[in-house]
Amino acid sequence: MTTRREFVKGLIISVGGASALSACGDAATIIATATEEGGQFYSSDEMALVSRISDLIIPRTETPGALDANVPGYLDALMSDWASAETQNYHREALKLISGQLDARSGEFLTASEPEAIAALSELDREAFEGGNNLDGYRSFKGYITQSYFATELGATEELKWVAVPGVWDPSVKIATGN
Amino acid sequence: MAEAEFDAIVVGSGMSGGMSAKELCERGLKVLVLERGPEIVPERDYTDLLAPWESDHLDNVSQDEINERYYKQYGGVAYAIKESTKHFWVRDDEHPYEEAEGTSYDWLRGYHTAGRSIMWSRQTYRLGPQDFTANLEEGVGVDWPVRYEDIVPWYEKVETFVGVSGSEEGLDQLPDSVFQPAFELTDAEKSFKQKIEKTFDGRSVIPARIAHLTDATKEQLSLGRSNCQARNRCHHGCTFKAYFSSLNATLPAAKRSGNLTMVHNAIVRGLEYDTSTKRVSGVRVVDAETMEARTYTSRVVFLNASAIASAMILLQSKSESFPKGLANRSDQVGRNLMDHVSSAGVAGIMTGFEDQTVFGRRPSGGIYIPRYANITEKNKPFKRGFGFQGGARPLGNSSGQIAGIGKDFKEAHKRPGPWRFNVLAFGEQLPNPENRVTLHASRKDRWGNPVPVFNVSYGENERIMQREAVKDAQAMMEAAGCINITTSSANLSKPGNRIHEMGTARMGRDPATSVLNGWAQAHDVPNLFVTDGAFMTSSACQNPSLTYMAFSARAANYAADLISEGIF
Ligand SMILES: Cc1cc2nc3c(=O)[nH]c(=O)nc-3n(C[C@H](O)[C@H](O)[C@H](O)COP(=O)(O)OP(=O)(O)OC[C@H]3O[C@@H](n4cnc5c(N)ncnc54)[C@H](O)[C@@H]3O)c2cc1C
Ligand code: SF4
Repeated sequence: MTTRREFVKGLIISVGGASALSACGDAATIIATATEEGGQFYSSDEMALVSRISDLIIPRTETPGALDANVPGYLDALMSDWASAETQNYHREALKLISGQLDARSGEFLTASEPEAIAALSELDREAFEGGNNLDGYRSFKGYITQSYFATELGATEELKWVAVPGVWDPSVKIATGN
Repeated sequence: MAEAEFDAIVVGSGMSGGMSAKELCERGLKVLVLERGPEIVPERDYTDLLAPWESDHLDNVSQDEINERYYKQYGGVAYAIKESTKHFWVRDDEHPYEEAEGTSYDWLRGYHTAGRSIMWSRQTYRLGPQDFTANLEEGVGVDWPVRYEDIVPWYEKVETFVGVSGSEEGLDQLPDSVFQPAFELTDAEKSFKQKIEKTFDGRSVIPARIAHLTDATKEQLSLGRSNCQARNRCHHGCTFKAYFSSLNATLPAAKRSGNLTMVHNAIVRGLEYDTSTKRVSGVRVVDAETMEARTYTSRVVFLNASAIASAMILLQSKSESFPKGLANRSDQVGRNLMDHVSSAGVAGIMTGFEDQTVFGRRPSGGIYIPRYANITEKNKPFKRGFGFQGGARPLGNSSGQIAGIGKDFKEAHKRPGPWRFNVLAFGEQLPNPENRVTLHASRKDRWGNPVPVFNVSYGENERIMQREAVKDAQAMMEAAGCINITTSSANLSKPGNRIHEMGTARMGRDPATSVLNGWAQAHDVPNLFVTDGAFMTSSACQNPSLTYMAFSARAANYAADLISEGIF
């Protein structure tokens, strides 16, 4: 089956790449943050939790994952420089709640085995999207993780095949199915 | 009177001012454009070439900064105010205004070269013959002193210069423009079109008409403009100069005539009136940076500061001859402030298109449903009508708001997802003299100019019309076979929020009840023209910028004729 990614890749080649006028320049500098250290906003415990959850939600597959794209560092900067005190507070409380719920499901989430951690987070995720357990804070956190990932150069180019200058508008592109 | 320094002064370099300046310059007149904001230099200030990862914080403006500086602007038009575009918007803390008790108003704007033509969404439609006769037929407001046919040649001239992509449809109420090829509809939109046109006799679904080049003319190429690259980065400016803005088109054309002088940071605070000649004799400015006061002189003056700012300039220009403000014998300056009105947006999922997606990012628009209310469908429980903007696109999933974690979650983002169709009505607002902007009695901004006070609310007609528009939208979604139809909050949009403010110095036939004649020339001050949205006698329901430009071009050529006849 042709995945959309392969198919979009084909298209980029067919329109001759992103053209000479495509965007260029230095990628935004993200403060590289080792997962065991605190950041400008996150404490070291929070950073560990944020890193673990980001990695489980967007793992490295054949394309880079959230940690490869330094999503935790991105979120740390987002919280310290973009968020208001109110949002910071809300996010911090959400992390506490998430941490408590994950621990309750897996013993100690951060030291749980991979399958245990996945099971705990999957369950929490499902409940959140079914609207249960006051988990709006989780949904918004997941939104930040995902959006941040796609806003990084790796996420945008490797995963979404973002094209700076499409050059044409094609309103009807068939996605090939089958082999 | 001493020899004037310039033939014409144009106040404001935005959508309408750019066109006034171009036409005046091309007629060989020496033109001074006074712009209150700083200069925008495309190479330095356009941010359309930034890749997503070159902006921090998802390109969001920090929340503290929004609360301190952009509370009104961001509240009104959050989708367009990003860290990389905020320099195109006024800071509310520097440019405050007040709202009468119990009312609220969105005055959304930018002060810089080219005004809001940099940030607009480029939807471009002519008014139709019915729009110029409705006031007369219904006894609402005053009659337009012109008819559609008077404006046709000017629409044609402006469209040819601007570049409008669209399709010929032959509709009486929404006449065709001079077009470049339209952006083709998606298959979901084509299916919607077919079902709606079959189910609802007299309704049509057409490609949005937008001011983007799709087949640039020689003239456009000679101005350094090129075809649209389907990037949808237009709120950041456009390095390709593919969408129309004053800075991409009219100002460069004015400049190459050799007749343009442009002064930035020049806040016009009043016009001087000479009682012996009965004309404007000077334009008073204060420098936004140095606070220095200066006066410029010219034979004719064009106000193009936008409907609210131009009304304020007139109201600030009090004299013994005009104690209520210049050209305001009728007391209509600042009154009849109109906008367009929306309420709920209606959206639904269109199934059957999961095996396809789009390539490229179509800028603005998708479909437009021209007005049918009280045109092809008579006897509605309200006056006038509305047009719908909308479109269909694959939903995509980059916001993370779907269930699941891990590889499957990641893979889900590569699929285009279901197709979502949405429509939103833009309705006509009737003129009402009680809807007005006045000058605050004592509160001044940091340049010593009075701050405006808005007192605007919608009436019964707007409420009933929007209630019906939402019902119609839902019925069309159903007829098109949409599922999961949702309707957003049913509140009316805030006055001002559609960013089509107009009507504050209306045209009319009688100087006792209107400010301007059919040339957008002040009844009482012959060398004064107002050709931004202030002249609009009624609002119609079409996005208005094209009409402002057509009237600007017409008035500029009329003024040039009068100058060449030696009248000024
Ligand atoms: C996000 C957005 C989307 C829009 N979408 C559309 C659309 O799709 N279709 C459409 O038709 N319209 C649209 N509009 C509206 C459109 O931008 C306006 O109709 C148009 O710009 C008005 O032209 P103008 O010349 O009256 O004012 P502006 O373009 O605002 O220009 C006024 C200029 O005057 C200057 N000025 C103000 N006061 C003074 C003073 N005292 N002295 C000197 N200079 C002064 C300002 O700095 C500014 O440069 C949109 C607007 C926005 C913001
Ligand atoms: S989509 Fe077209 S008009 Fe908009 S910024 Fe890109 S090239 Fe310019």
